[in-house]
Amino acid sequence: MSKKLETELYKAATLTFEELGFLLPTPEIDEQQLNAQVEAAVSVDFEGPFSGKLLVRVCGGLLPIIAANMLGEDDVPSKSLQYDALGEIANVICGNMLPGIAGSKDVFRVSSPKMAESIDSPAVAEVQVGLGLGRADLLLFVSRYPALTEE
Amino acid sequence: MALNILVVDDSSVMRAIIIKTLHLSQLPLGEVHEAGNGQEALKVLDGKWIDLALVDINMPVMDGEEMINRVRQNPATADLPVIIVSTEGSETRKEGLLEKGAGFVHKPFTPETLRDAILRTLGGLDEQKAGDGTLQGGHPDF
Repeated sequence: MSKKLETELYKAATLTFEELGFLLPTPEIDEQQLNAQVEAAVSVDFEGPFSGKLLVRVCGGLLPIIAANMLGEDDVPSKSLQYDALGEIANVICGNMLPGIAGSKDVFRVSSPKMAESIDSPAVAEVQVGLGLGRADLLLFVSRYPALTEE
Repeated sequence: MALNILVVDDSSVMRAIIIKTLHLSQLPLGEVHEAGNGQEALKVLDGKWIDLALVDINMPVMDGEEMINRVRQNPATADLPVIIVSTEGSETRKEGLLEKGAGFVHKPFTPETLRDAILRTLGGLDEQKAGDGTLQGGHPDF
C-alpha cells in the first residue's frame, strides 16, 4: 500500500511542479541535491473518509525560484509570497493525490496551507523530487486509513 | 463587451496567477476584482457589477460551494456565470457543483484551459473570431 501511496504522491508532485512551478523534475537525485539544506516547509491537512496531512519541504534555494516562476516575475518575491506560493503547491499536490489513493467518489476537505510544525509521527509515504540544484521532500501522514490498518 | 471578473481564492499567489492569465488571454477585460473567501466575494457582488466569477472551493470563512449557494439564492446574482478553479478531484462534489450551473477548471491549469472554459461558460467559444479577442453573444450556457 505504501508503494501505491508513494506512486500517487510522486505523480501529483511532478505534475504540479511542472505545470504550476515551471520546474522540471530531474530523473535522478544527485549528491548536491541530496545534501541541499532544508529552507522551508508547509503542510495541508485533509479530512474525509480518512484524514491526514501532506508536508512539503523544499531544499537548496528553491523557495524564491518557485514563487518567481509561479508569478512570472524577474524580481525575487517577498518572503510572504514565497511561502504562499509553496503553500499553493502543497494544496494542489494534495488535491491531485487524494483521488489517486481514495478513488474519485470520496469527498475530502483540504485546509488552507500553513507553515509546517515539527513532525511527531512517522510518514506513511515519503518521496523526494529533484528540482534544479535542490529537491522537494513530500511526506504523507494519514490516520483512519482502512487499507493501512489492515496491513 | 468588456468583462468585469471576480477572482475568489484564499491564496494571493493563485489570484495573481489567474489575473496574469486573464491579461494574457486576449479576452476583453474590464475591471478585475479579488476576494480571499466566499464572504468577501459576496460583499464585492453586492456593490459591483460582475460578469463572471472564478471561484476556489476550499477556503476559510466561507467556502466556494456555500458562496455559490448564496449567489444562486439571491435574485440579483442568481444567473451569474461561475467557474470553479480548484484541485477538487471528487466526481461526487464536481457533479453537485455542475448542477448548480458552475463550470470547472482543474488546478494546475494552462492559460488555454482557463481561457477556453471562460469562453465556453460565456457562450463565445464557437463564435469567437480567432485571435481578435472579441466575445460574440455573451449568453451563459446554463
